[in-house]
Amino acid sequence: MTEERFMSTATSAAVVQEAERFGRKPGRRVDEIVRAGTLAEGVYELVIRDAYVARNAKPAQFVNLYPADASLLLPRPFGVAEVTGDEVTLIYQVAGAGTRQFTQLAAGDAVDVLGPLGKPFDLDKSANYVLVGGGLGIPPVMLAAQALSVRDDVTVTTAFGYRNERFADDLVAQYVDAPHSITNEEGNVIDLLDSIVPELEAAAKAGRPPIVLSCGPTPMMKAVAQWGGRHGAEVQLSLEARMGCGYGACVACVVDTPQGRLKVCKDGPVFTSEQLGWVV
Amino acid sequence: MTATVRPSEPMNVIEPHEWRHGTVVAGVKWKNPVGTASGTFQLDACGDYYDVTQMGAICTKGVSPVPWEGNPGPRIAESPAGMVNSVGLQNPGVDHYLADELPKLKELGALVITNVAGHSDEDYAEVTAKLADSDADMLEINVSCPNVSHGGMSVGTDPATLSRLIGRLRKMTDKPMIVKLSPNVTDIVTIAHAAVDAGADALSLINTLVGMRIDIDTGKPIMANRTGGVSGPAVLPIGLGFVWRVRQAIPDIPIIGIGGIDSGEKALEYLYAGANAVEVGAAALTDPTAPMRVARELDDLLDSRPDLAAKLAQGKSW
Ligand SMILES: Cc1cc2nc3c(=O)[nH]c(=O)nc-3n(C[C@H](O)[C@H](O)[C@H](O)COP(=O)(O)OP(=O)(O)OC[C@H]3O[C@@H](n4cnc5c(N)ncnc54)[C@H](O)[C@@H]3O)c2cc1C
Ligand SMILES: Cc1cc2nc3c(=O)[nH]c(=O)nc-3n(C[C@H](O)[C@H](O)[C@H](O)COP(=O)(O)O)c2cc1C
Ligand code: FES
Repeated sequence: MTEERFMSTATSAAVVQEAERFGRKPGRRVDEIVRAGTLAEGVYELVIRDAYVARNAKPAQFVNLYPADASLLLPRPFGVAEVTGDEVTLIYQVAGAGTRQFTQLAAGDAVDVLGPLGKPFDLDKSANYVLVGGGLGIPPVMLAAQALSVRDDVTVTTAFGYRNERFADDLVAQYVDAPHSITNEEGNVIDLLDSIVPELEAAAKAGRPPIVLSCGPTPMMKAVAQWGGRHGAEVQLSLEARMGCGYGACVACVVDTPQGRLKVCKDGPVFTSEQLGWVV
Repeated sequence: MTATVRPSEPMNVIEPHEWRHGTVVAGVKWKNPVGTASGTFQLDACGDYYDVTQMGAICTKGVSPVPWEGNPGPRIAESPAGMVNSVGLQNPGVDHYLADELPKLKELGALVITNVAGHSDEDYAEVTAKLADSDADMLEINVSCPNVSHGGMSVGTDPATLSRLIGRLRKMTDKPMIVKLSPNVTDIVTIAHAAVDAGADALSLINTLVGMRIDIDTGKPIMANRTGGVSGPAVLPIGLGFVWRVRQAIPDIPIIGIGGIDSGEKALEYLYAGANAVEVGAAALTDPTAPMRVARELDDLLDSRPDLAAKLAQGKSW
């Protein structure tokens, strides 16, 4: 008999140090949890200490978390929502067994991590970036607000759709020029986008055309892609798929596109609406 | 259940290493007995994390005569200590492989096993013909994929069909030919004999077991293809049982043990069951550096097992 061990054995610093010394990316490692709590009913925050992720994560990139329960083998991907020093904030809801176990984690505990992973949003242009997030699709677009806030050639607009509690508005307030949000009871993000068209047109006239960055449920993102098509806005979408590895090794996470089946974890999670064939 | 940071010294897995214990599989020398398993390695992903030339062997994704788009998503589901996949051999085809991944792997200096896939005897023959004078070091004929409706497992579960195919491929190439066997059979020994008698130089086993998961909210299968192949720690004892039975029946054939290996200790179990080498699959999906770590752990474990290490180095099994 051999000892059962599915967890990585090495602490974050050691793994990162060795990888960087040999010009590689660090593999799975154990991170310390700095803070764990609740942001709203059913919405949880987990802050981990990972200097490598903090240094390297770009907007829409994600990290894999692994439940300590070795019977749950597959990665749980979460978008990086915010970075402060060497601390990395993830925001999630309970979807099944793995996320339920994450809610038991507390400061001082450890969690296995891999990342950052995936292709980030393209933020090269000078533009009015319109961050359209729906539900737990909000956290993956939050880092874009933080990253863009240090630039003086862009405007940052948010259009967040919440089920009920507005859990992220305060967290991004300091990074956003034009904050907007809506709850299910009030309407959906397309209603919200329609209502800010005059504002977007004014910014466009001033040299900041809209570029939409979106993450959320697939029906919402399809509607956002079409909204962008109608309003001549470039749209970048961050997709979700069930993943086997999260780093490009297994081809489990495909999305059907006009160019064939692409990997969400490595070719994405960010795709343009044209790449996906989602604009008519 | 919460994890704790382990007090043990972390094992460095990336830094260069002087391998002390190699193996020989069908006349081909591996620097250590650990390879990657087909479908869980892609150079442009795994190569970011470790030096692929440090592996005993790199076994590539199944290569088909033309590009295959695989099955629709979702393609993966979790199972207790395991996973079920229905990727369906998505790959860009043999011409792309010969122009891209193979030359890149060989330029780096990796020992390459090319995994051969097909829907029909013709498909396997076409790929094998193109690989016959390539730089691939070994071929692994995948007659055991449960995720394609023709070829794959339907070939590897019938001794007569298997014998006909392997006999035909044998005439086409002098490259060491490994036949990868399915556990979804009533008698593995009959199948193993059929492959060996038809000219297989080595056997690798196991491929995945047919399985499925169902979403109880919808009452429907989680994967679009409905069924898939189970692998991961949960299949370890099954893989060991299969390797052991084949070793008992055929004392001399080189065997590559596969299934549920995520540590040097588990690799060692396979060697004691009669394998000459092992491949690491699912574990690489849960940590990109797992194959490297397994190889390093096994190298240490073999230090205190000189009899086993000596046999492996001579191309013999325990
Ligand atoms: C790139 C990316 C970024 C994401 N970012 C966030 C985020 O910031 N906040 C958040 O709350 N959620 C996010 N998700 C969704 C999150 O990964 C899943 O909710 C979570 O994996 C569910 O795990 P579970 O163990 O609770 O569910 P289970 O159903 O027990 O999980 C079983 C398996 O299915 C997978 N799975 C289940 N639901 C999903 C899903 N919706 N998407 C992908 N895989 C799934 C799990 O990863 C696991 O491998 C993201 C998903 C992706 C792909
Ligand atoms: C995502 C995935 C894809 C696979 N693709 C292939 C393949 O293309 N060809 C093949 O012969 N085996 C394939 N396999 C089977 C593995 O090589 C291996 O035989 C099996 O997974 C058992 O080993 P494991 O428990 O270490 O994963 C695949 C397995 C997985 C998990
Ligand atoms: S999840 Fe493995 S390739 Fe994307």
